[in-house]
Amino acid sequence: MKKFLIPVAVSILVLANFSMARTKLVALPERADTVIRLDNPFYTLVEEERVLALQKGTNQVDFSWTGVSIDPDSIRIKIISHPDEVKLISVSYPPGENACIWQIYSPSPYEEKIRISYLLKNIDRLITYKAIANKDETKINLQSFLILRNFSGEDFQLAKILLDYGETYEKSVSHEETRQMLLVTKSSVPIEKKFTFDARKLPWDPEKVMGNVGIPVTYEIKNDKNSGLGEFVLWDGKARIFQDDGKRTTIFLGEDNVSFTPVGEKCSLYVGDSRDIVVTQRKIKETKINVRKNDSNAVILYDTDEIIKVDIENFKDMPATLTLIQEIPGEWDMEETNHSYEKEDANTLKFNIQLAPKAKQTVTFHYHRRNVR
Amino acid sequence: MKKTIIFSLVFLFSSVLYCKIDLVTLPERDKVQLTIYNSADLTLVRESRTLTMKKGTNKLQFSWANTLIDPTSLELFPLKDADKIAVTDLYFPPRITGLGIWNIVSQISGKAPCEINYFTSGISWQAYYLATLSQDEKTMKLEGYVKVTNRSGEDYENAQVRLVVGKIHLLDEIATLARRYPPYGRPFEPKPLPPTEPGKRRDVFEAKAMLAGAEDRVIVKQIEKEGLSEYFLYTIEGTETIPDGWTKRLLSFSQDKIPVMNFYKYDESRFGKNVVRFISFKNSKSHLLGKEPLPDGLIKVYRIADKDERLSYIGQDNTKYIPIDQVVELNLGAVKDVKVEPKLMEVKTLNYQFNAPGRNISGWDEAQTWKITVSNYRNIPAKVEITRKFPHQYWTIENSGEFGDYKQLDKDTVRYTMELLPNATKTFTYKVVLRWGDRQY
Repeated sequence: MKKFLIPVAVSILVLANFSMARTKLVALPERADTVIRLDNPFYTLVEEERVLALQKGTNQVDFSWTGVSIDPDSIRIKIISHPDEVKLISVSYPPGENACIWQIYSPSPYEEKIRISYLLKNIDRLITYKAIANKDETKINLQSFLILRNFSGEDFQLAKILLDYGETYEKSVSHEETRQMLLVTKSSVPIEKKFTFDARKLPWDPEKVMGNVGIPVTYEIKNDKNSGLGEFVLWDGKARIFQDDGKRTTIFLGEDNVSFTPVGEKCSLYVGDSRDIVVTQRKIKETKINVRKNDSNAVILYDTDEIIKVDIENFKDMPATLTLIQEIPGEWDMEETNHSYEKEDANTLKFNIQLAPKAKQTVTFHYHRRNVR
Repeated sequence: MKKTIIFSLVFLFSSVLYCKIDLVTLPERDKVQLTIYNSADLTLVRESRTLTMKKGTNKLQFSWANTLIDPTSLELFPLKDADKIAVTDLYFPPRITGLGIWNIVSQISGKAPCEINYFTSGISWQAYYLATLSQDEKTMKLEGYVKVTNRSGEDYENAQVRLVVGKIHLLDEIATLARRYPPYGRPFEPKPLPPTEPGKRRDVFEAKAMLAGAEDRVIVKQIEKEGLSEYFLYTIEGTETIPDGWTKRLLSFSQDKIPVMNFYKYDESRFGKNVVRFISFKNSKSHLLGKEPLPDGLIKVYRIADKDERLSYIGQDNTKYIPIDQVVELNLGAVKDVKVEPKLMEVKTLNYQFNAPGRNISGWDEAQTWKITVSNYRNIPAKVEITRKFPHQYWTIENSGEFGDYKQLDKDTVRYTMELLPNATKTFTYKVVLRWGDRQY
């Protein structure tokens, strides 16, 4: 037996709902407990609970919306008060309308609490970070913020706003409102400061460059228990990094994107460039050896003999850890080097260099590229 | 009579503009600190204000219409009773630009000193140098200045000013963030930026008034300098008032009798067939400097021309940032009073190789003999650096004559460095044997 909504009741409720909310569940009281869940960076799930006055038999409940964008396929309903007795029979979608109609069977008249879940568009969140490093640059105090951007067309009265970790906020959120909320605060998170000269990207000879060649400076943070973190993923988002200047104020060091960092992984933040470390790299030798020719006297195969010299000067009165990244294409053999290196992959070499304050160091490596055609 | 007008104008001017950034329930700023960067259009503003709290939830409204403040950088925190005053959230109400509201939950009522931090664009600073060489060009007086310009749309009165030397990494320009509405953009739909708000114009009367006021005080301020991370921080003594639209120049340091080296370079790959004049000195204690890195900036170089200390202008250069203990080389442009003339005197080919008897040439050597004449037409000594580049890396060289200090720079570049007395000429010869074709292997 179908239960049609009484027109008078419908109109009153529709009117009441119109002024407050554009998502309306006709013949219903106001939404109770509303949750905006933001753990998925691309889709925002809204869950709202309402109490239906169900009659005995089959009830028809109309859920329609205007001015908002809801993915109709995402709409779900959960029977909460009497899940074993009250059953959803069918869902139908009227033509040309933003609506769905549930047929719900109830064995007796119930005040039934239901939960409606749906994906709402044009509402999302950003994660941002603020870090304050200590003067020695060994630790940071880290704050993470949730920025809720509601451009969905919907005004929410007291909704719980949650991510997958951190504080939960219960706030009213209007359409076209942006709200920044502090999620997490962690103090004394250890960091490692690193300088990187990537010979593939940076100019080799600073003398030939207008302006200074900056050596990128990064802070490395490990998302683990030892760092006081390790409880949750660090979501990607913009981080602004400050430093305590020892006078109860701070200076701004720079900003970078935190990349999505799962528990146990490292996150590297590019803060700025150092101009107090100067790297001058030159190729001292590059000759062809073991040259082989074909019958027409064309060179078809050879090796090379190459020497690269890297002069590093630290003008700082502090020690520094510098990583030199070098690339040797193709197959190669290292003949001689005055500094150890790690192979990052077949063609990438990493030299980790400890620079003393105000010190100069030279890294020289001599290699043969083999079987160059 | 005149003074009264000036006074009232200044007064009106400051009171009107003061209201632009304001917290509704708040008195004026107690203190302002500006930390201005030179590698990006960015200033960190730190304001102290005393809020009056009531127990429970307090709402504080901050508006910044017509300024260049980045709303995503806004931050408020208590300076006292941090455990009793919690700033829970900041929201940007719908359809209102330039306005944010903080929710603050306080367990106490009464006065609460707080700090508000934000980034603004539109305030910049630059280093600027004036160098004056002595008549014999052996020493130099160097004056370093900092120039602070405020085009932020906001007046900053009695602000502590700090200047940061260094290259920071930014993802977004602060000016772009300042113009963006909504402050954090919209979900999934990038919107074009609203057009730039035209900067407001100050009328001439006001400008005169400000200038007249500034003339009254002659104080040479000290600038305190210290290193922080990869940056150098200059803190200007006392406070400064920098109204919107104004530039202020302050002396950072002045040092006389810095020993300098006159220096000439000849490098066809960089300067063509010109001799380029440099002066060099070291940013070190031995050169009476070395207390701080020298920020990049324009340097204008003069020379004392006569006994009456009249000046002659030599040239200008944009210096790089100079760390402590690094050598500075200032490029003062091409000159004619020092000359470097390379001449190819002889070419010979030899050691021919053939693919097979009677077939094609597969390799040979080419011996080039170059004579380099270096002349100093000046009445002071000169140091000359000559860089020569070869077509490839298969060569051997023989130097003869007054070739000075010889050095192989890299696989195909060599450099000769020599010192010449006043009005002197030096000549040297190098014979380079270039191996071509199969002679290379």
